[in-house]
Amino acid sequence: MAYLSMGEAHRRIADYLNRFSDAVSSQDGASLSLLLSLSSNSPSLLSLADALNLFQDTSRVIKQSDKYSQYTEIFIHLFRSLQTYRLGNLADAYQAFEKSANAFIQEFRNWESASAWALEALYVVAYEIRVLAERADRELALNGKSPEKLKAAGSFLMKMFGVLAGKGPKRVGALYVTCQLFKIYFKLGTVHLCRSVIRSIETARIFDFEEFPKRDKVTYMYYTGRLEVFNENFPAADHKLSYALMHCNPHCEANIRMILKYLIPVKLSMGILPKDWLLEKYKLVEYRDVVQALKRGDLRLLRHALQEHEDRFLRSGVYLVLEKLELQVYQRLVKKIYIIQKQKDPNKAHQVKLEVIVKALKWLEMDMDVDEVECIMAILIYKNLVKGYFAHKSKVVVLSKQDPFPKLNGKPVDS
Amino acid sequence: MMNQGGSTETIAPAQTNSLENWHILDASQGQTSSYFPPTTGPEAISWTIHQADHSSTSTYQYDYHTQPPTRNVQDGQTAASVPSSSSSLGSANVSHDYNGYAPYPNSTDPYGSSGYLGYCNSHQQQQSNHSSYQPQPPNHSSYQQQQSNHSYSQPVGAFQNTGAPYQPLSSFQNTGSYAGPASYSSTYYNPGDYQTAGGYSSSGYSNQTALWNDGTYTNYATHQYANYNPDSPGTYSSSAAPATSLHYQKQYKQWADCYGQTEVTCAPGTENISTANKSNVACPVPGVSGGYETSNSQTRPSYTPSWRPDSSSSDLPLVQPTVRISGSNDIYWHDGAPSSQVLLTSPMQSQSQKPLDPKTSYDSFQDQQKTVYSQGPSVHYPATHQVPQIYQSPMQTVASLDTQRVSKLQILTNPRIASNLTFNLPKIDKDSSATSTAPKPAYVSVSLPTANQKVMSDNAADSVLKTGMFPKSLRGYVERALSRCKDDTQMAACQAVMKELITKATADGTLYTRDWDIEPLFRLPNADAVNKDSFQCSTPGLALPEYKRSPNRRSKSRWEPLPEEKPLAKSASAVNNAVKYGGWMNAKERDRKPFVGNNESKENNFSGAKYSPLDQKNASKNTQRLVKKQRFADGFNAADKGDASGDSDKEQSLTAYYSSAIALANTPEEKKRRENRSKRFEKRQGQGQAETNHLKQKSAGRGNLYSRRTSALVLSKDVEDGGTRAVEDIDWDSLTVKGTCQEIEKRYLRLTSAPDPAGVRPEEVLEKALDMVQKSQKNYLFRCDQLKSIRQDLTVQHIRNQLTVKVYETHARLALEVGDLPEYNQCQSQLQTLYAEGIEGCHMEFSAYHLLCVILHSNNYRDLLSSMSRLSIEAKRDEAVKHALAVRAAVTLGNYVLFFRLYKTAPNLNSCLMDLYVEKMRYKAVSCMSRSHRPTIPVPYIAHVLGFTTPRNEGSDEKDSNGLGECVDWLKAHGACLTADNSGEMQLDTKASCSSLYMPEPEDAVAHGDASLAVNDFLTRTSL
Repeated sequence: MAYLSMGEAHRRIADYLNRFSDAVSSQDGASLSLLLSLSSNSPSLLSLADALNLFQDTSRVIKQSDKYSQYTEIFIHLFRSLQTYRLGNLADAYQAFEKSANAFIQEFRNWESASAWALEALYVVAYEIRVLAERADRELALNGKSPEKLKAAGSFLMKMFGVLAGKGPKRVGALYVTCQLFKIYFKLGTVHLCRSVIRSIETARIFDFEEFPKRDKVTYMYYTGRLEVFNENFPAADHKLSYALMHCNPHCEANIRMILKYLIPVKLSMGILPKDWLLEKYKLVEYRDVVQALKRGDLRLLRHALQEHEDRFLRSGVYLVLEKLELQVYQRLVKKIYIIQKQKDPNKAHQVKLEVIVKALKWLEMDMDVDEVECIMAILIYKNLVKGYFAHKSKVVVLSKQDPFPKLNGKPVDS
Repeated sequence: MMNQGGSTETIAPAQTNSLENWHILDASQGQTSSYFPPTTGPEAISWTIHQADHSSTSTYQYDYHTQPPTRNVQDGQTAASVPSSSSSLGSANVSHDYNGYAPYPNSTDPYGSSGYLGYCNSHQQQQSNHSSYQPQPPNHSSYQQQQSNHSYSQPVGAFQNTGAPYQPLSSFQNTGSYAGPASYSSTYYNPGDYQTAGGYSSSGYSNQTALWNDGTYTNYATHQYANYNPDSPGTYSSSAAPATSLHYQKQYKQWADCYGQTEVTCAPGTENISTANKSNVACPVPGVSGGYETSNSQTRPSYTPSWRPDSSSSDLPLVQPTVRISGSNDIYWHDGAPSSQVLLTSPMQSQSQKPLDPKTSYDSFQDQQKTVYSQGPSVHYPATHQVPQIYQSPMQTVASLDTQRVSKLQILTNPRIASNLTFNLPKIDKDSSATSTAPKPAYVSVSLPTANQKVMSDNAADSVLKTGMFPKSLRGYVERALSRCKDDTQMAACQAVMKELITKATADGTLYTRDWDIEPLFRLPNADAVNKDSFQCSTPGLALPEYKRSPNRRSKSRWEPLPEEKPLAKSASAVNNAVKYGGWMNAKERDRKPFVGNNESKENNFSGAKYSPLDQKNASKNTQRLVKKQRFADGFNAADKGDASGDSDKEQSLTAYYSSAIALANTPEEKKRRENRSKRFEKRQGQGQAETNHLKQKSAGRGNLYSRRTSALVLSKDVEDGGTRAVEDIDWDSLTVKGTCQEIEKRYLRLTSAPDPAGVRPEEVLEKALDMVQKSQKNYLFRCDQLKSIRQDLTVQHIRNQLTVKVYETHARLALEVGDLPEYNQCQSQLQTLYAEGIEGCHMEFSAYHLLCVILHSNNYRDLLSSMSRLSIEAKRDEAVKHALAVRAAVTLGNYVLFFRLYKTAPNLNSCLMDLYVEKMRYKAVSCMSRSHRPTIPVPYIAHVLGFTTPRNEGSDEKDSNGLGECVDWLKAHGACLTADNSGEMQLDTKASCSSLYMPEPEDAVAHGDASLAVNDFLTRTSL
């Protein structure tokens, strides 16, 4: 490598150009995408990068043949990107790659009229754009500069989305780009930007959602499900995340775990508890205490679990969802009291005295006075977690004789 | 361009290089001595020779130019222009230049055909001279340049010419597109001729006008003339100016310069020349404003002195001729003549030169100054592209507009003008007397006489401040050079080049002797392309129609007495637009275009590149488009707006320059307007007269700041008037001021312009002010106002320290206390960045507020999550933050008992934020209780739980009963059903209330949503 000859460098470059134009002319998307996947660190690309570092006048080589000069824009920037990537200058590599990708999109428009053979290559470009931008941002942040490449990647992919979002075979690729966009937006915290993309995907009647590739559908459902979690729209979130879970490749445990991370809180808030082995298998043990607390009506345990994993829950955005489980825990607690009373005296079981509840809470080291517990009971009744009424004078919760603790059964708590 | 640039000075980038080249060329050319001598007598010969050479061979010319510096170049230019008309370029040129424009007219037709070649040749010469000697084939661009050069050269030679030639020229213009340029030059020359030959002035003018405008244009011609005179130094620009507003401006600026030159040539000859040089120098100085930073101060001061001499020596003669021409003018002149003699300021000179439009010239001058100033400041400070652009556009449009307007105004209200003039003169005298010794007086006087308000004063101030010794013409030169710059790099390069030039000149001792006005500008890289474009675009046919049009309009606007200023302005604007772009350019398409090209290259170089494409596209509409582009680029130029977009735009643009016109016509309306305007800046120290005073006071010490401010003011004025330019466009960073105001109390006024240091309080005073506000017992509106003004002063001075934090914290707390959330949010967002910068303050307290704010008022879970996850560990241990988190938990759960308990124990002002949520919480609680409780709930319990009453053990009975009553009222207001039980205790009938509860409309609701801003209330409160 160190003693790369000029001729060898030239040969490598010419070889690359040749392969590129061959792939295009034979409409070989797979080999074309190999030539574009910068971050794959494939040996051929790395050696090409070395050659490029040695051989400065690449534009001359490119212009030598009409075959190549057609793609001059792509090559020049791609080579520059390769060079800088090889040298570890990711910000510049991204910048050049974006330019190259821009030229690539222009060419792509021309290629795609009949079939969508180059979609694969386009996917690679979109992926590279995102990954390079992320790495460039990391580099920029390390150098104390403002990381803005990912944002730029977002707007570039938006452009790419525009290329694909029309009719025709290209449309199949739109969802992939959408998913890349989601990844960027979620990373940047600009989730609101997802809306326009979602709208154009979901309102387009021309193309059935089911016709998209499965992996894209799963990714898409995962992200939109997460969005619904943010919006506290649990039924929709449940639907989308369940869809993602159902269609996810069962061997991709990491992906399943990611889906479950959001699906479990959603299910919990609807009264559906996961089996312990599920949490074990997918290493979601942080939910175990929460589930336990729900089962036992152990408020202390819930609060403890929330506090213990606060950072994690806050970061993933399920903290508020889990916090709302508190009411279900109260419900469970009252239900337990009710069951115990029933065992003692079935006739008076439906009358739960407030002080009993206060005592139970005190036993859980929850220091709440009568007023507060009365408030909690009022809320439980108000939210339809408990059927009955509260008699203020006697400080007694009078439970309905029929189904005093209605199950949620997949319905969210009334708000 | 790059290539060219590299050739001469090898300074640097393309554009800059071109500019530099220009300068260099200029410098070489600029050698006034050589130039002037020829003018008197031998010049013609030398010129002719040169011209011939030039025409014959471009390369040849090149050589010539280099050797004979300025003269040659100019000659070449003139020659080229002349030759273009006729096949015998060399001879023709010579004849043209010296003998007059007669050849021109003759050649006009040829111009179209062969003129190109000649131009090209000349152009090449010029180019070679100016730029990098690139032997370019006869290009349009080159042509244009040549033309511009021609104009230059022509003015020089024009002096010699008599009125007769002019007429031919005019005819030429009418007939041929090419003629247009010729005519231009002739017009220019006419001024020159005028000066030289008394008879010429009046008759020649009229003739020209007749030819041009078909009678109506006479005025125009005069205007042009005036313009041209100034232009003569920068002839091309001036010539172009007639064609286009842009040109106009330049012309105006150059005016003074030209004046001096023309005068010189005309009258005293050598003496005049010297004076002219001075004047020229002075003119450039204004132009220099572009140069500002480096040499502004120096140049400006010089400006005034030079003017005086000029006025005394050359202006007077000029004045007399003008008098002859028009009676009204005579009056003016008479009035002004004495004064002018004594104090002749630049405006005066211009007036004198422009017999018909003394005021116009004056105005134009002022305008120029204004433009220059505004531009200059903008350029300097922002140092951005905008600046140059602005500069250009204002110059062009404004100048033209102003001149036109002025002319109109003058015509209409001659008495007024006269009075004004007299006024001005006396003032000037006074000023001069006051500061006779110093160079400043002259300048001041100029500004004062016009009383054009700030602009003038500013200009004066600037000049004074930048007490330079640079001649006016030099200023103009610099202005011109800089005005061409398209962007920063160009500007920088230009400045560098000019610095070199000036230093060289000073070293040579030619600074004052050189005729800067005539000095060709070094070329900008873009010029060629532009020129080409314009050249191509310009087609005789197209040009002619437009030409006609524009003249008509002009004549109308100018001569027709307009009842009101506004209409005038409009018409003027329209005229200006037409004239500027369509009229002039079209009429003298080629000339114009060349001019345009030149202008673009020189003035518009900033935007030149843009222009060029436009030109290519639309031959006839080139001008307009150009204007538009400029507009875009400039944004600042009101004039630009005026182009084709619409009357309103025009109006605006006009209004922008209104002030200058106002000075002339002191109508009550105007005064009112001015007052209004000045009121806006009241707090900053008032304006108008005050400003002038300030100028004097401040000029000494605070020159730079002041000038900056003034420039900013001018800019802002433009903004106000034009409305298009956003305040945001002003580069506040460059306007950072150091306050000097010592008043502790200051009302808040949203800045619409750059801050005035005199109205800004320094940090010490601000501390006192904060203290005062904190101790003040006055109402919130007062204190909020005071705090806002403190904040503003801090921002303006870029003070970001603990005091800043303190101010924002104080204000945020104050806003919280009264529930002014918008104001609080402003402070909060500022505080967050301030804390992030590591400035200490009550960070915890305010992060608690922030949390509460998010929880209670924006129902955004993601925001809440992110702000929660951002809390540090120690933050979570903080009392206030803990409280806020607890409140959040209570709210999400709907735990009203906990909420109101937390409400009672809220630290800091947390309760104030919670206050805003209390109503919602209570309603939720009551509806919850009425659903869950049966059959009744005692009201005292509700009152207790919902925070109406304090806990029983604490509060007194009286208080409780008060709270109880309040609770009852509240419940009733929300539709609750209350009953009394056996013991007489009020009970809430939950079953009945369950369906009857509702949220009442807030009683104090106001349409705009803020009850505290109800008009009546507001008025009573503000009248503290």
